[in-house]
Amino acid sequence: MTLDFWGLGLQAANVLILIWLLSRVFWRPVAAAIVARQAASDAMLDKAKAAQTAADAEMAKATAAHDGFAAERAALLDTARAEAEAATKTALASAASRAEDMQIAAKATIEHVRAEAAKADAAQSVKLSLQIAAKLLARLNGPIVQAAFLDLLVQAIADLPPAERAALAANAEGIEVVMASADSTDPKAVKAAIHKALGAKPELRFVTDPALLAGIELRTAHFTLRNSWRADLTQIEKAVHNAA
Amino acid sequence: MNSPLNSVVYFQIGPVPITQAILTTWGIMLVLVGAALVLTWRLTLRPGKRQAAIELIVDMLDTQIRETTGAEPAPYRAFIGSLFLFILTANWASLLPGIEPPTAKLETDAALALIVFASVIWFGIRGAGVRGYLRSFAAPNILMIPLNILESVTRVFSMFVRLFGNVMSGVFVIGIVASLAGLLVPIPLMALDLLTGLVQAYIFAVLALVFIAATVEDGQPDAEIPLKKKET
Repeated sequence: MTLDFWGLGLQAANVLILIWLLSRVFWRPVAAAIVARQAASDAMLDKAKAAQTAADAEMAKATAAHDGFAAERAALLDTARAEAEAATKTALASAASRAEDMQIAAKATIEHVRAEAAKADAAQSVKLSLQIAAKLLARLNGPIVQAAFLDLLVQAIADLPPAERAALAANAEGIEVVMASADSTDPKAVKAAIHKALGAKPELRFVTDPALLAGIELRTAHFTLRNSWRADLTQIEKAVHNAA
Repeated sequence: MNSPLNSVVYFQIGPVPITQAILTTWGIMLVLVGAALVLTWRLTLRPGKRQAAIELIVDMLDTQIRETTGAEPAPYRAFIGSLFLFILTANWASLLPGIEPPTAKLETDAALALIVFASVIWFGIRGAGVRGYLRSFAAPNILMIPLNILESVTRVFSMFVRLFGNVMSGVFVIGIVASLAGLLVPIPLMALDLLTGLVQAYIFAVLALVFIAATVEDGQPDAEIPLKKKET
């Protein structure tokens, strides 16, 4: 067994050349490919990370915008609620005021109606009283009452101003003497008393009017001297009516 | 049957005898370089099955180097990987009829051992400087210098003898059995020889890596600090 040093050296050279060749055509290209893929994947990861960061930022923006929208919506709702409450308060106040006005108007109307009703009742009462009085006084149409009314007539003629009394006496058409009935009074006595009171003797025409109830009145075309229960009752009614 | 220890010289180039081992080595070189060229043709970012397979091989080698030395695999990748591929291919060349593995010859294994010996010096000086490399002989203390010098030679010599002995014995046994028992009987032994060839290639490459790593580590200024970098 011998060692061939030429062969040893040649084999060493062969192996070294093989190492160099494989380094050039195999190990470096494959390692470079691995490194390139790692670099590419790192770049993709970085890009994806950047995209994710951008997406997160956009998400944060969207979330902030959403929160802003929610806050704006809440603010709008609060404003609308406040406006609605104010409008409600205004409407309630207006309605209350209107109701109060209506209540006042209704009270006034009620008072007015009540007053009118009271006035009507009073008028009705007065009317009824006067009717009662008229019926009662109609039963007092006797000679005594007529004599009293004749005295009152004479007194009224005497109380007339002289010019009116003279105009009454000088009436060419004559004077109507109105009595409630012709039974309870003597026309001659009446006639004499009137002529005496006038101081003249105008023409007298006796007229019966039951509406007088009792009494004696003088009437011309332009003058009436009232002296009867009816005249008194009418005057009372006017007075009561004016008093109401 | 020729003795496996004898080399058959086919022709001479000047004073250099061209033996079968040298021719086989050239053939292996052609095959490996050709295969490398074919396999690395048009590497892309999206690997196919071919590219994924060779990247897997490179990644496994890088992982092995990183776990063994703790350093980045780039400086050692081409040397250790090529050494492993050559030895493996050379060992398995015995499967071809009429081909004798170059690693079954003294010259080839001695050349490999010599290259490992030189690479230890080269990587030691490159990693730790000349002083660092020389300091590596004084680890763990100065008294160990003669023994370390002796070890640096003997460990490489042991690699040489181990590889030669295993491969040559396999070829020898298969040759004897084939000459005695015909064609089919040596098949199990050939399968065993395949396994042996793989294991020997792995052992040779890993031992070369360990020797280089130990030299670089011992050559560091503070030798007590491990060379191995923490994985990140």
